[in-house]
Amino acid sequence: MDTRSPTGPVAVALAAAGGMTVLGMALSGAGLRRSGRRVAARANAVVGAADRRTAVTAARRLNRASGTLAASVLFDSAVEHYRGGFHNKAMYTPLVAATLSLLVSAHGHRDRGHDAELARDLVYAGAGLAGLLGTGFHVFNVGKKPGGFGWQNLFYSAPLGAPAALCLSGLLGWLSERVRDNAPDTAPLVLGIPAGRVVGAATAAGIIGTVAEAGLLHLRGQFHDPFMLLPVTVPPVAAGFCAAAAFGGAGRPRPLARWMLRASAVIGLSGSAFHAIGVARSMGGWRNWRQNLLDGPPLPAPPAFTGLALAGLAALSLLEDQPE
Amino acid sequence: MTDGTASRYPGYNVLSKRDGPSWDEVTRQVIDRRLNVPREPRFLDPERFRTLKAVCGRILPQPPERPDVPLAAHVDAKLFDNALDGYRHADLPPLREAWLRGLAALDAEAHAAHGRAFADLAYRQQDTLLRRCEAGELSHPAWDGMPPASFFSQRVLADIVAAYYAHPSAWSEIGYGGPASPRGYVRMGANRRDPWEASEARPGRERTALKENRRVR
Amino acid sequence: MYADEPMRPRTMQGRAPDVFTRGGWIPMQLRSDGEEVDFVVIGTGAGGGPLTARLAEKGFSVVAFDAGPYFRPLEEFASDEASQSKLFWTDERIVDGANPLKMGANNSGKAVGGSTVHFAMVSLRFRPEWFRSRTLLGYGADWPLDWREMWTYYAQAEQDLSISGPLSYPWGPKRPRYPYRAHEVNAAGLLLAKGAEAMGYRWSPTPLATVSAPRGNSPPCVYRGFCRVGCSTNAKQSQLVTYIPRAVRAGAEIRDLAMVGRIEVDATGRATGVHYHRDGVWRFQRARNVVVAGYAIETPRLLLNSATDRFPDGLANSSGLVGRYLMTQSNQAVWGEMEEEVRWNKGPPSLALTEHWNYDDRKDFFGGYCWMGQGPLPIEWSSVLTGARGLWGEALRRQMENYNHQIGLKMVGEMLPHLDNRVTLSEEHDQYGLPIPRITYSWTDNDKALIDHGLAQMRTSLELVGARNIFLQKDDTNHLAGTARMGFSRETSVVDADCRSWDIPNLFVCDGSVFPTTGGVNPHLTITAIALRTADRIEALAKRGEL
Ligand SMILES: Cc1cc2nc3c(=O)[nH]c(=O)nc-3n(C[C@H](O)[C@H](O)[C@H](O)COP(=O)(O)OP(=O)(O)OC[C@H]3O[C@@H](n4cnc5c(N)ncnc54)[C@H](O)[C@@H]3O)c2cc1C
Ligand code: SF4
Repeated sequence: MDTRSPTGPVAVALAAAGGMTVLGMALSGAGLRRSGRRVAARANAVVGAADRRTAVTAARRLNRASGTLAASVLFDSAVEHYRGGFHNKAMYTPLVAATLSLLVSAHGHRDRGHDAELARDLVYAGAGLAGLLGTGFHVFNVGKKPGGFGWQNLFYSAPLGAPAALCLSGLLGWLSERVRDNAPDTAPLVLGIPAGRVVGAATAAGIIGTVAEAGLLHLRGQFHDPFMLLPVTVPPVAAGFCAAAAFGGAGRPRPLARWMLRASAVIGLSGSAFHAIGVARSMGGWRNWRQNLLDGPPLPAPPAFTGLALAGLAALSLLEDQPE
Repeated sequence: MTDGTASRYPGYNVLSKRDGPSWDEVTRQVIDRRLNVPREPRFLDPERFRTLKAVCGRILPQPPERPDVPLAAHVDAKLFDNALDGYRHADLPPLREAWLRGLAALDAEAHAAHGRAFADLAYRQQDTLLRRCEAGELSHPAWDGMPPASFFSQRVLADIVAAYYAHPSAWSEIGYGGPASPRGYVRMGANRRDPWEASEARPGRERTALKENRRVR
Repeated sequence: MYADEPMRPRTMQGRAPDVFTRGGWIPMQLRSDGEEVDFVVIGTGAGGGPLTARLAEKGFSVVAFDAGPYFRPLEEFASDEASQSKLFWTDERIVDGANPLKMGANNSGKAVGGSTVHFAMVSLRFRPEWFRSRTLLGYGADWPLDWREMWTYYAQAEQDLSISGPLSYPWGPKRPRYPYRAHEVNAAGLLLAKGAEAMGYRWSPTPLATVSAPRGNSPPCVYRGFCRVGCSTNAKQSQLVTYIPRAVRAGAEIRDLAMVGRIEVDATGRATGVHYHRDGVWRFQRARNVVVAGYAIETPRLLLNSATDRFPDGLANSSGLVGRYLMTQSNQAVWGEMEEEVRWNKGPPSLALTEHWNYDDRKDFFGGYCWMGQGPLPIEWSSVLTGARGLWGEALRRQMENYNHQIGLKMVGEMLPHLDNRVTLSEEHDQYGLPIPRITYSWTDNDKALIDHGLAQMRTSLELVGARNIFLQKDDTNHLAGTARMGFSRETSVVDADCRSWDIPNLFVCDGSVFPTTGGVNPHLTITAIALRTADRIEALAKRGEL
């Protein structure tokens, strides 16, 4: 007899969430060919010069990406640092930085102008810096525990990857300002490189890092549910397409890349649903939330994939608009 | 349990968690039953029970600022139920017999030494007698072959101390979290306290501890 | 406080309690007393549980008896040390010898699932050399089992019990990855780790039979620390939530609250069934084969109690060794206090360990030992203070107030088999009218040398992490083994490598009592591995018509 799979309501809930996820991933591929043609037509219409409106649209998309990541970091670090009792005052930093990043991202999302804002830039830079410092702190903390950088501490000590998400939020935000800020009739550039390529490369790297984090934690959970494989299989493919786009030819539609990114966005959202089921099936379920929100699967973590997927889509738009 | 600042865990009472997620139904029933143990002896006669109470008072003297844990009643309940431990040393008679004989012997020793019942001796005299029992130095015929030292370590100490630390008042006293199901614990590292655990009044943080302990649910 | 309502058998109506739901049931096949079933298994613990499941899965008809109740942990296991003594074998036993054993809570369970219902879940493999300790290490006795074969059964046991262990285990030959990841190590375990690192020893998160992620209907461990009085979470992978449900689904019948008092043997010298006491009456179940799995005290007691004219010294006892070579394991401890709050009751008690002295042979005594972090609950801790330090009165209460700062290391050490450490029958009788066992135990000089070594080592470890008020607990022992040892010949052992008695071909013993030596690690995984092997061997014997 198989005693390894759950029965009863848990099994039903898992099957439902799984079904919705698969359906969502499939639907996210629908209509891509048509929109691809549209993009191509538009690109042909403005030969030689990128549409500034596209740049602003892409920038706002990046603001949303940055904001989504910031929200994920905000809630995740709030939960994790609450667990740690904020025993070190520095543990408030990611909360402040992520909140600000979230706020300016919202501001950027509503801003249809094409000028960078100093305040947004400062906040984004700060978030990036805070993320770097956090990573340093976490590395230091893990290193001094018995067992050092062994699996045990990678699993249970301060997560090395978590502060990096704050870095990414800052970075994407900063990039959004650069994209928005391009001179009329030029393709958006960052440090002299076409913005689409920079954003694409950064996104691909970010996705890979996030996959590593999810992989580590899902390994800790022994991939006990088959759907736990999704975040370590689909997003890496999306990252691959994203990188290929970043380093490949511009000005053409990439429906597969779009599909995989959208699917990753779906996984990010459904991940939270799966994690909510995980909380429910822990001892005491939601009634024992003070334990299970901390010890159970983290609800705010998976949407990091959604944020990065948004950034990837922005990169694709930029690249599609970019003249060859 | 106690609110006195002298306590190590001021204001902490495990029972404040009774209706929260740290307790489940079966635990509530078990602890309710324990808190309502019949105070009158059901196995021992009043005279032996009086001796037992006196012995309990010396093995675990209790703080004056809260109601005593009725230790003698718990030991009597164990005898009444004949709740065995699963083994006994070959030189000891079975549970009930050992207690009956031991309590009678302590009284006999008290009469022989001081002309009064054990329960009527001064604390110091009681302690001396118990210490001699512990050391195996008693030899009144009332022991009837049962070694006093074995009786002391395996019955007196074992049964009374177990009854005390089975009681919520004792748990509160030592800052122990008590029942923990369905909710267990989250913060596993040193110096990390879950908000539903006792907070210790280290020097300088007595007020914080009191405040935190009042919030334990 | 101590009494619970007397329980009635639960598995009489063709259903067994569903351990995963409150008040739930699962269907169970019933057999009649008159039906000659393929196997009767006596005891459903670490040995009887997996054997019952595997035999049933192989298509044999099996009835398994347990003297204890069939619990539903979710609704019946209180978070409470005192009342959970209902899990222990508390019937009277008499202990003597120079170092009388503590029984009851210390080493004997009485419930469907046996001692695994309240064990500490530490799941370790033997060091390979121990299976041939006489030949390779110069002490004890060789096992008739090959360690490489055992390695595969260990792996199967670890899978079945979803052991949570480190990705790579620092000692011994390579083993497959543990099915689940190791648990987070608590403060008490990290102090062990720190001490071990300071001494230059390796340490490891302990492989435990409690899940760190969901498994089927078991939620992950919530670190409540009540493991040794039963896991109401069902995170613990005891026999009760693993092999027993499997056995029932595969068609085995579990008879709870059924005490076997005697094994019947016919004129030809074959076992024909068992007499058992259930719901107030004695009954007789017919069987083609009988397996005894009652653990190191009840197994020899039952064999001795089943004496007949033909077998006046008890069944399977032509060697005279039934009840002999009883072994326990040294379980001495060193305790101390830390400046910081450790709160050792959080989490399973032994989250970290070092097996250094199981694998390092530079010592002047035989055998090995490991040590583990500790987290006793208040009653148990108070008994350490009264027992080892003789504290009572104000002194005891004051010391108990340090509970949250206390740390400790406890060894599990190999004691050598000795002919005179044994189980015999006493003159007294129990509630069933059966003679109660007398357990005689004395440490050998080698045992004492090993203990002294261990205490000194653990003390150093505590000193190195800055513990204060360190004291030694010199007298504790725990797990049992021996009393029906397996071996190579009928003169020197009770059963053969297949756990089959030399004297009565359809009588098996399959539990901790078959150990010829006990090793320096906790025994349950080895018992389970042997049971899995025995099931395979029985299948092979049956196929060859040799049952
Ligand atoms: C508190 C504690 C902690 C432990 N911790 C660990 C640990 O961490 N790791 C580890 O490896 N081991 C541990 N052990 C030891 C381990 O549990 C035992 O070694 C193992 O369970 C023994 O298996 P068994 O099958 O021989 O006997 P048991 O598991 O004890 O099963 C025997 C069963 O047989 C039944 N029985 C006996 N006689 C009869 C009869 N005549 N009729 C009907 N039923 C009968 C009993 O009721 C019992 O249920 C621990 C033990 C205890 C008590
Ligand atoms: S600590 Fe884990 S295994 Fe132990 S009783 Fe609690 S939930 Fe069960």
